[in-house]
Amino acid sequence: MNRALEVPKQWMSVVGEMAKFGGRDFGEIFSGKVFKYTGEMLRQCGVLILGSAITIWTLMFILGLTCGIEGAYFNRSTGAPAYAGVFAAWCDLREVMPYGFGYMMSAKVGTGLVAEIGAMQIADEVDALEVMGISSMTFLVATRLLAAMLTLPFMYLAGIGVGFFASYIAVVHQIAEVSSGTYFMIFWIFQNPPDVLFSVIKAFVMGIVIVIVGTYYGYTAGGGPVGVGTATAKSMVVNLVMVHLIGMLGTQLFWGANPRAPIGG
Amino acid sequence: MADEDRNRDHSEYFSEDETHETQAAVQDEPEGEEREGGDSFNREEDAYQWHTGEKREAAGQEDAVEFINTVKAFGANTVLNGLDLGLPDNQISMILGPSGTGKSVCIKHMVGLLYPDEGDVLVHGESVPNMPDQDLFEMRKKFGVLFQDGALFGSMNLYDNTAFPLRQHTDKGEDEIQEVVMRRLKEVGLGDAGDKMPNELSGGMRKRAGFARALVLEPSIVLFDEPDSGLDPVRTALLCELIKEIHEDNGGAFVVITHDIMSARRVAEYIAILWKGRIVESGPADELFNSNNQFVRQFLAGEAQGPLGME
Repeated sequence: MNRALEVPKQWMSVVGEMAKFGGRDFGEIFSGKVFKYTGEMLRQCGVLILGSAITIWTLMFILGLTCGIEGAYFNRSTGAPAYAGVFAAWCDLREVMPYGFGYMMSAKVGTGLVAEIGAMQIADEVDALEVMGISSMTFLVATRLLAAMLTLPFMYLAGIGVGFFASYIAVVHQIAEVSSGTYFMIFWIFQNPPDVLFSVIKAFVMGIVIVIVGTYYGYTAGGGPVGVGTATAKSMVVNLVMVHLIGMLGTQLFWGANPRAPIGG
Repeated sequence: MADEDRNRDHSEYFSEDETHETQAAVQDEPEGEEREGGDSFNREEDAYQWHTGEKREAAGQEDAVEFINTVKAFGANTVLNGLDLGLPDNQISMILGPSGTGKSVCIKHMVGLLYPDEGDVLVHGESVPNMPDQDLFEMRKKFGVLFQDGALFGSMNLYDNTAFPLRQHTDKGEDEIQEVVMRRLKEVGLGDAGDKMPNELSGGMRKRAGFARALVLEPSIVLFDEPDSGLDPVRTALLCELIKEIHEDNGGAFVVITHDIMSARRVAEYIAILWKGRIVESGPADELFNSNNQFVRQFLAGEAQGPLGME
């Protein structure tokens, strides 16, 4: 019985450590210590945008096409092809775009952080920073979190645009059973600015959690290259679970009580 | 701390049994010593029978770093077990010892990357474990550390790696930084390699680059973690010469961690021999090389016969 409890106890311990790590991370940012390394923070913003934006937007484009195609065929089968925009609007904005963003952030940014910081850890580079009198927590971790906080909302908003564009192409030009005007009329009726805000909040929280999980596993990596590999795999598992958890809770919180669907008046 | 203080008895820090054990080892000939027939030492009898803890007088230097009855364990594995050690200022000191005896752990204690479970570590008389974080980061600026593989930042070229501490800790302009960096890189023979990335360098070059980076802030204590590991004998000799030359120019306390006896013969002015988490003996290099302690003699001669076995 005790052995059976070991695994969940370890999970709880890791979750606690991660929460503590995240708290320390935010502490470094909100105490202003991170601004000592503004140059590094801006460099990380650049790395995020140049290294990950195109990959994330590509996935969001493909998912936008998927939503458009699904919406067009489903609404054709119900005899209301003009309402393909409803499916595209909800699918894109409320669910698939945040998930797509979360998946690619986990795969590209999260694992990248574990590999980068973990490799630094096992090569004594983190210790080298510390003995130079530089807090590795501030320089390596807090700068990356702040860079993510500053860039991710804009990357995500641009990604929503990419997804919308893909859905439009799929419905209006590929399936081509709805005119552009009809599609847009329905598409815009079924979403409003708070929906965009909620969607951004979902993706933002996912992004922040992914960066914290990635930096945590990288910072605590040990046991040589194998240890870094194991930490990378663990971070991916944790991040995928967290992405779905945040997605589910976000939907419940933002649209569960009031789906804001203008149906039947 | 003065030499006479360094030679003080730290027995007040030991438990009664340990004090008795250490004093007995000093006073009596160790049991199970040399016997006829070669390797007949009773290595199981007492792990600390050779640890006289004797501290021979150095040449009038205060201690830059002191360990006072330091104990550090990782789980069930006790790495430092009542370590008493003083490393003199303005000399090249070497901490020698077989693999896995806690030499690298010593370095991490000096710079506050690890804290002792018991005892204290003093740097220029200040207790490292009791420093607030801010003071600790300030204190670390006194140190230059050369890690085993150089620990260069993989995302920066050699020039930026060397310039990094100056850019972070000083208000120097780029021209001044360039002057310092190029001087240090030339000193270690890498004046033309500034634009190379760390993965383009050989192991020896990475160590020399790490050495240049360790020196740019003109630290008063420079630590070398096994600078000879992974180097061929010629490059090891050249690196040792470099350490001596730079010490002559810069001064300060240089502390070299190694288990390479040849390196010790070449550069060491002060030697401390560490085994099983305690100092067997420490003192000026020439005196240690003439020590009567069986363990010290075996280790410094690199012989198979003697109290040190494969355990």
